[in-house]
Amino acid sequence: MKKIIMGENIVKSFGEGDEKRNVLDGVSVEINEGEFVSVMGPSGSGKSTLMFSLCGMDGIDSGKVTFSGRDLSVLKEQELADIRRTKMGFVFQQPTLLKNLNILDNIILPSMRDNRKNAAKITKKARALMKKVGIAELEKRDITQVSGGQLQRAGICRALMSNPKIIFGDEPTGALNSKYAQEIMDILSEINAEGTAVMLVTHDAKVAARTERIMFMRDGKIVSEMRLPKFNGTHIDDRMIKVMAKMREMGI
Amino acid sequence: MYYRIIRNDILKSKAITLTTTIFVAAAAMLVSLAAILVVNLSGSIDTLMKRAETPHFMQMHSGVIDIKRLTAFAEQNGHVDEFQVLEFLNVDGVQIVFGEGSLGDNVQDNGFSIQSEKFDYLLDLDGNVINVSDGELYVPICYMKDNTARVGDKGVICGKEFTVAGFLRDSQMNSTLSSSKRFLVSKNDYAEIRNLGSTEYLIEFRLKDLSALVAFETAYISAGLEANGPTITYPLFRLLNAISDGMMIAVILLVSVLVAAIAFMCIRFTLLAKIEDDYREIGVMKAIGLRVSDVKKIYLAKYAAIAVAGSILGFALSFVFRGMLLENIRLYMGESENSSFAMFFGIAGILLVLLAIIAYVWVVLRRFRKLSAAEAIRFGTSQEKSVGARSFCLSRNRLFDTNSFLGVKDVLARKSLYATMLVVLVISAFIIIVPQNLSNTISSKSFITYMGIGNCDMRIDIQQTDNISRKAAEISKTMRSDSAITKYAVLTTKTFKATKSDGSEQSIKTELGDHSIFPVEYSEGRAPAAENEIALSVMNADELGKTVGEGITLVIEGKERNLTVCGIYSDITNGGKTAKAVFSDNSAGIMWCVISAELADESLVSGKVSEYADRFDFAKVSGIDEYINQTFGSTISSVGKASRAAIIVALIITVLVTLLFMNMLVAKDRYSIAVMKAFGFTNLDIRLQYVSRSVFVLIIGIVLGTLLANTLGEVLAGTVISSFGASSFKFQVNPFSAYLISPLMMAGSVLIATIIGTSGAGKIKIYENIKE
Repeated sequence: MKKIIMGENIVKSFGEGDEKRNVLDGVSVEINEGEFVSVMGPSGSGKSTLMFSLCGMDGIDSGKVTFSGRDLSVLKEQELADIRRTKMGFVFQQPTLLKNLNILDNIILPSMRDNRKNAAKITKKARALMKKVGIAELEKRDITQVSGGQLQRAGICRALMSNPKIIFGDEPTGALNSKYAQEIMDILSEINAEGTAVMLVTHDAKVAARTERIMFMRDGKIVSEMRLPKFNGTHIDDRMIKVMAKMREMGI
Repeated sequence: MYYRIIRNDILKSKAITLTTTIFVAAAAMLVSLAAILVVNLSGSIDTLMKRAETPHFMQMHSGVIDIKRLTAFAEQNGHVDEFQVLEFLNVDGVQIVFGEGSLGDNVQDNGFSIQSEKFDYLLDLDGNVINVSDGELYVPICYMKDNTARVGDKGVICGKEFTVAGFLRDSQMNSTLSSSKRFLVSKNDYAEIRNLGSTEYLIEFRLKDLSALVAFETAYISAGLEANGPTITYPLFRLLNAISDGMMIAVILLVSVLVAAIAFMCIRFTLLAKIEDDYREIGVMKAIGLRVSDVKKIYLAKYAAIAVAGSILGFALSFVFRGMLLENIRLYMGESENSSFAMFFGIAGILLVLLAIIAYVWVVLRRFRKLSAAEAIRFGTSQEKSVGARSFCLSRNRLFDTNSFLGVKDVLARKSLYATMLVVLVISAFIIIVPQNLSNTISSKSFITYMGIGNCDMRIDIQQTDNISRKAAEISKTMRSDSAITKYAVLTTKTFKATKSDGSEQSIKTELGDHSIFPVEYSEGRAPAAENEIALSVMNADELGKTVGEGITLVIEGKERNLTVCGIYSDITNGGKTAKAVFSDNSAGIMWCVISAELADESLVSGKVSEYADRFDFAKVSGIDEYINQTFGSTISSVGKASRAAIIVALIITVLVTLLFMNMLVAKDRYSIAVMKAFGFTNLDIRLQYVSRSVFVLIIGIVLGTLLANTLGEVLAGTVISSFGASSFKFQVNPFSAYLISPLMMAGSVLIATIIGTSGAGKIKIYENIKE
């Protein structure tokens, strides 16, 4: 399998002097094309920091991160931005949408930065994605006029606009009730099934159980990894039991 | 704890803390100076007028005087305490020589007096009544200030030599606004020079009770006593003494309001930015049960510290400048008796600024009450609702590029947030354009129409001499045979009494002659053509309550004559009160005569001016440009300087406010900035969005400011000009400077400030702001 992201011996610290603490303490990780992975671990274990480091949103102290063979640490701010905009997609716990824009405008915003001339095409694609995730009728709504689950779907549409190679999700279902959470996970599974790699950071065993590889982190290190067969929509409870057993074993 | 918080906070934002402190200090200093000056000025004026025993009522009079009749009136009038008639010997400036130079070019009416016996004393610089000896000359204080004379200098008056023994303070004529200045000589010396000038009389009264002044004035007028000249009363003397320093105080107060407003804006923007930075912490403090007032105190402490430091600095600085500003008051009016109060009022002024700042910070901090702890902890920034501009959608946008669209959209969605910046830009554009247009207008050649004179090339003034009509005829004869002169007009000014509608009388300076040769612009009606017509200057028309077509009664050759007002024109010369008529009159004395001429070729002006000046040494000959320059040169140059200063001040304010505003916006928007960066917008994109916001607000600001400058600004400038006697004022705009250079300067300032102010956007870390 072709690797899209490789992290080698990543060290990342916060604080200064005596307060200095390694949040990532020599982490090495690889994500393959089309893979569906998740990272679990207690609060403060470094899960989100790992994700932010791998996507180039946060710098690292030492080690190396490559995306499709390009070393992110040597890229300029604009080049990193270009990669994030055209090759990656992001879904966060809180729907990170801009207040001034309606739902449709929020979805097309990153794509419009480069291709304003193709506005009609971009808008058409956004509408198709909105229809796919079930929010077609909300395009003119303000972000304060829709539910959390609908906002998260809009966030997913935005992430998919550039046909990314990978989608990063930091607790994408963390702020949702179980019904909405399941719907979002269904969408992410569908996206993954279509070939896009997905990396999720989560506390939720039910979310992790949908993925095929789970990395467990503690104190800035990946302490264990667990592999599951590709999720086909069945036996979710069995998968969950396995994940929870592993969590207990790891003391999470 | 407060000390530590304040220290850390100040260390983190040194530049902005220093800027705020400087503005607070400047505001405190100016308010304190204004208070100190007001107290000293009023004290000094009181002391001067008390010691000099300034008359309560003074009538200037030239011509025949009946002392007996006046004395009888004074004795019979129950209000009069004391009465005297002083002589004032008007001497041509050319006849007053100090060292190498004479006062020939001086605009003041210089004259000589002896020390009065009963009241209206001329005082020395120690405030004592001067005893002048023969051969000694006391010179008005204004000539000490402009270094015309020094103690011990020789002064030659009408050929007689004097020694300058000292300088005098004149409670009546001290002010630069008073057109006459009194020199003091001994009785014997006065007798010697008495026939070398024209005598004017100062008919002066002190009343038993000043409150009876109005009744006395009416009694004087209805008694039909001598009144060929202006009347000045005690309150007017006070006002005249106060006005030039008073104007300075008013300007200081205005500037202090402006500086305080800037200080307030600095505080508002930095405080709001700080609140945004600390939003989550504030939420936490509220959540753990700290009272809003406790949280407020932490923020208030910092600004109280800045306000106290600024106020102390301002007070210290006021000591540095007060001497300089009080110098003029002390020089012209002497020490104030209540200068100890001045310090008290100075401190009170500073306390006022201090309290105003603290109160303002308290008001800004009121938003803590509305802050939701849960929301603050959850989002870490204030959750404003965006309003409006819903139809302005990115998906339908074909006009702007995406960054510009986001900039414009943000301004439209958060209008109230941008209102402050817009107001500042409108005001800046206004202060840049109005003084510039005013300066351009008064320095343009067409401004002559406001001066009550027609468009001619050369002007000859004959005044302060005898046989004016014979001399005018002599020049007129020469001009008639001068082929270089295509046309000329002789206009003679005489004073006539006009009866007002209330029956009282007023002297009107009337210019007689043919007004069709060099016509002026009439705001209403036309030039007088018939013997029974008269045109009035705007101020005279206002004062007499006359409009075109109404009748006016003038006393001509001792007989009342009814004239019709045929026109009204602007005139800012001679105090703005003039009239024009064509009737012939042989009785009244000629005040002056003006001969205007047009030359066949404009290039001949300088040659003709020197030719006529050489030939007629009694007349003042000048080219019209030179005349305008002499009459209004200093005003034109002061307005020019003021307009340049206004541009600099406005640009500094623009830069400062934009800088602080952008800084605050970045703090407020750091979540959105982080989101956009996360989704692939570069720092340059973000900066372009902020530049678009600035440019959008700037364009609206410049358009509104320019519109306002050309409407309200023109009206305001017109009001100022009309107080000098002009009407229907219109700006002469230099479009290149007003509509191109000025907006470009503003745009440059705003862009630089935006780029510097948004530099913080590049430092915003994505993970710090959107990490869950």
